[in-house]
Amino acid sequence: MLFNSLQYLVFLPTVFLLYWILPHKARVPLLLVASYVFYMSWKPIYGLLILGLTAANFYLVPLLQKTENKKAMIGVIVAVNLVTLAIFKYLTFALGSVKDTLDLFHVSWREPHLHIILPLGISFFVFEFIHYAVEVYRGREPVKKFTEFALFASFFPTQIAGPIKRYQDFIPQLSIPAKFKWEYVDEGMQMILMGLFKKVIIADNLSNVVAAGFGHPGNFSSCDMWLITYAFAFQIFFDFAGYTDIARGSAMLFGYKVPINFNLPYLAANVADFWNRWHISLSSWLRDYLFIPLGGSRCSKILNYRNLFITMALGGLWHGAAMHFLAWGAYQGVLLIAHKLYSEALAKIGVGKDIIESRLYHWASIVVTFHIVCVGWVFFRADSVAVAMQIIQKLIAVPAELMHFSASQLAILQIRDPIIFPSLVLILPLMMLSQPIIAWMNDKKFYLSPPWALQVGVMVALMCILTIFSPDSSPKFIYFQF
Amino acid sequence: MQADQLKASSGNPYLGKLTGSFDRANRTLAAVAIFFVLNAVWAQTKIGTLKPQDFPFYTWTGLAVEHLFKKEVGTPSVAFVGSSLVLYPVGNVDSDLVNGEIDAPRHNRSWYFEKKFKEASGREIRSFNFSLPGEMPSDAFLIEKFLFKGDKSPNVLVYGVGPRDFMDNLLPCPQATDPFLWLSRFGDYNDHIASIAPDWQTRLTYELGRAIFTYGHRIDLSTSGARVVASVLDKIAPATKPLSIADRRQIMPEYHPFECGVNDAMFRPYVDRPQPAFVDNVAEYKNRYRQLKWDTFLTQMKFLSETIDIAKSRGTTVVLVSMPVTDINRRLLGPHAADVYNKAVHVLASSKGVKLVDLFNAGGYEITDFNDTVHLNSVGGRKMLTALAQELASDKKVSSALNIKPLPVVSPLEPLHLASRKESLL
Repeated sequence: MLFNSLQYLVFLPTVFLLYWILPHKARVPLLLVASYVFYMSWKPIYGLLILGLTAANFYLVPLLQKTENKKAMIGVIVAVNLVTLAIFKYLTFALGSVKDTLDLFHVSWREPHLHIILPLGISFFVFEFIHYAVEVYRGREPVKKFTEFALFASFFPTQIAGPIKRYQDFIPQLSIPAKFKWEYVDEGMQMILMGLFKKVIIADNLSNVVAAGFGHPGNFSSCDMWLITYAFAFQIFFDFAGYTDIARGSAMLFGYKVPINFNLPYLAANVADFWNRWHISLSSWLRDYLFIPLGGSRCSKILNYRNLFITMALGGLWHGAAMHFLAWGAYQGVLLIAHKLYSEALAKIGVGKDIIESRLYHWASIVVTFHIVCVGWVFFRADSVAVAMQIIQKLIAVPAELMHFSASQLAILQIRDPIIFPSLVLILPLMMLSQPIIAWMNDKKFYLSPPWALQVGVMVALMCILTIFSPDSSPKFIYFQF
Repeated sequence: MQADQLKASSGNPYLGKLTGSFDRANRTLAAVAIFFVLNAVWAQTKIGTLKPQDFPFYTWTGLAVEHLFKKEVGTPSVAFVGSSLVLYPVGNVDSDLVNGEIDAPRHNRSWYFEKKFKEASGREIRSFNFSLPGEMPSDAFLIEKFLFKGDKSPNVLVYGVGPRDFMDNLLPCPQATDPFLWLSRFGDYNDHIASIAPDWQTRLTYELGRAIFTYGHRIDLSTSGARVVASVLDKIAPATKPLSIADRRQIMPEYHPFECGVNDAMFRPYVDRPQPAFVDNVAEYKNRYRQLKWDTFLTQMKFLSETIDIAKSRGTTVVLVSMPVTDINRRLLGPHAADVYNKAVHVLASSKGVKLVDLFNAGGYEITDFNDTVHLNSVGGRKMLTALAQELASDKKVSSALNIKPLPVVSPLEPLHLASRKESLL
């Protein structure tokens, strides 16, 4: 069941009405049943998977408090979760990699063809289970009620593509006997409408351009490919941010708060700052449960760099069982290491504080960081490393093209239907400008508490736009595949 | 009393908090109310809507509609409707006739049939071929109801049907065809909505479209918006070499898959060369015939029945043609499905008093007459159209409809023996 589907349009109000009509003690069971209905609407059998993992974690994790060999126990629990993830997500990829490696040595081997369908959301709820186990290992209290724990993992707004919740923030909300407030509806609906706008209007339209460009890079010039790469940067942002908004808005309808996932990521002044703003729930999870256990930055420089690289490479692989995701993660790891080296070099050289803290340097850093991130997106989006390299070569060739540039070189201008292609020359600058404008408005009263009429007007406009431009079928959310 | 109610209703979250927050937080209710009022007003003004024949882009259906309303077409003497079972042989035979390629979506006649009918009856007629790829009886119903009326009501309607029209497992509902999408712009089909949208999702989509103007007219409104943007972009950044539809399809195969550019799909002649190799579409039809869904069968039969009723009420003489298929395809149907189809068509024709030309059972069509297990090639198409022309020329009702003297009845279904291909084209 997609958030931008008719089924969800019927499902969400039904659950919402039942939730607020029923007494408090029935709400968690209601949401749990609804969440399983939501999950099993895709493939019923995989309801058993999430239930099985939930039960395993619920009954195994409290043993951490009783056992003397805590380390072994946490190892077992993490292994149970990771092995499940590995079987469903990485087994086919691993077998394919083994075959490719054997092919290099001319050893012929026919790998078994496994028809494993990746369960939706498995990457997210496995990470939530691991987080829970590690927190209890570190001394927190385990969850006492099975229904609350099961809901933590399966909560339908965040079930499929996050944000990755922290149990210590989510579970206490379940025991609050909240009274209905109209603010829940208003805030929730505003987030849902904005999320749908980001996904359906912006991301889905950009996906046409991106699919054509990344599928057939030979048909486009270097300048085209830069525009298409920018388009993907905004497609993935609005797709995922839109999903998060709908998830948060849906949770808000029930009075629950779930973490934010984005904080104007394309205003990051360096790669480290980018990862503080992009997919925040994942980057903080990687920091807390992979980077820090590896040793974090409290070790020698070399080990620190190693930890950064491993964390980001595995973070890349988390996104998908394919070499180009691993390449993307490794690229991010190299960037973070390079950023550290660059910062240290600046400090050693003694570059003036007034230069580094100047507005010009700040904005130049933002532009450079954005482009570095865009190059990474090429690896993320391309179907393979080979295609990514083909596109990177085109991107590198742009200076030569710009020397003799004319608008007629732009293939996107020759495609008049869908109109999104030539519109890129207008839309991309607007999207780039929107980030600093929103950042400027963020502390302004009129933006934080806009007039009632303006809020209503925006909601009406969004409803009109969404009904006019709603497609008969919409591309899947990008993060569904993880 | 209020305090007692509050105490007694500790399980009910509504009491006690509504008034405090309602006035601050009624944005959603206000927005929803304004949205519906705006839609109601917009529905009256119809700003941004397009005329039914102003298609956002042209598919086979749009091109056929546009052609039908051209002045030179006038009132068709004989109109053909049906699926590709009718479309392909009619078009391929004409390509052989002129020994030249024909832009298929833009060819809506049967020159060969006109020629043969003239030979048989002495009467010149003007045909119009409104058969379309994937056309179902539910689509033919819309063609008859919304388009074949007034001065476009043909004298004779020839409807070629086949088993797939009534038992296609690949079709979720009547609304799912491309012809339906465009034909439904021409009128209100609310009286048939239960048949057209049998499942709750398609029905909900339909009802939301009726209740919410912006949703129901989203194709028109989004097209109007895109045209405005396009006109602005044409001034700022005009296209010097616009990409053709065929080239666009290379890089975006799933975007507007049924859109037809010029010379995108061609009928090609096989006068001086062998027919193309037989295409094995057994797997496709196994899927199509997988299960005889009784609801689908009855629904499409009902649409066929109503098409005949409307045509007759407008003075159109209807001729039903049960199209020939190969024995291979017949075996895929299974004995019961073939029997049900056969009997249903016969019963329908008999009960409606319409002529049935039963080529499904007639025999005389060899495997070499077919391009695949269901579609006649130009050789088979010539047999069919020649036989059809003779049948119609000798039918009293058809003759009366076309103001001609009916010919003596000859055995219309004898295979056409040709001395040579070229002679047959004279």
